[in-house]
Amino acid sequence: MSATELPVDEDHLRSEVRRKYREVALEPGAEHHFHTGRFLAGHLGYPAAWVDQVPEQVIESFAGVGDPFALRPLGPGENVVDVGSGAGFDSFCAAWQVGDDGHVVGVDMTPEMLDKARRNAALVGADNVEFREGFAEQLPVADGWADVVISNGVINLCPDKHAAFTEIRRVLRPGGVLQFADIANGTPVPPGALREIDLWTG
Amino acid sequence: MLEEVGFVDVRYGNRVDTFAGAPGEAKARRYQVHGYTFVARTPG
Repeated sequence: MSATELPVDEDHLRSEVRRKYREVALEPGAEHHFHTGRFLAGHLGYPAAWVDQVPEQVIESFAGVGDPFALRPLGPGENVVDVGSGAGFDSFCAAWQVGDDGHVVGVDMTPEMLDKARRNAALVGADNVEFREGFAEQLPVADGWADVVISNGVINLCPDKHAAFTEIRRVLRPGGVLQFADIANGTPVPPGALREIDLWTG
Repeated sequence: MLEEVGFVDVRYGNRVDTFAGAPGEAKARRYQVHGYTFVARTPG
């Protein structure tokens, strides 16, 4: 599918995704179609040392779909971009791994998540993490800056995945690593259903 | 798609039953939706 044949309106999808994740930021304990928070992180296999140590408000809006560090731990000193950083839990997990010589830039398009992530950074003392507003398809990061790009449950929400992966490649240095978690379907989704916005956002 | 964009050495991990027990489980089951982890790198 080319960029000109997107199954849904890009602006409408972004608006609906923002609405959904605004709810997750402000009302993490409400019923969502997916698990959230500390229970979810444990369910996905994150190390207990990370899951158990953070204050509740740092992890309560976590809404990932897998552990992006499961196949490859980060190394000391690496520069990391977290695409769709939400309230920041994965960014902080990255920050703990890269240490003081590394740097993490979290990018998200939902203002309420960015506000929460910045408060959470102060709460956990993550001095090597910053959060910037932006889209997966237009990352506010210089060419080749990142050693690693991580993401968790975000690419599936992008109508133009080719554009998102192309942009991720732009910010990675030669030999840089993309490591991410996302959902995939084992049964094809009918073309008509692809246009149902609820199927994208839950 | 990762290879189309120029990534190499693509590998993926075990699937995770991300939606098990969640309110969205029935919809996830309809399309056999699971979570996966992926790693790929740029050439160079």
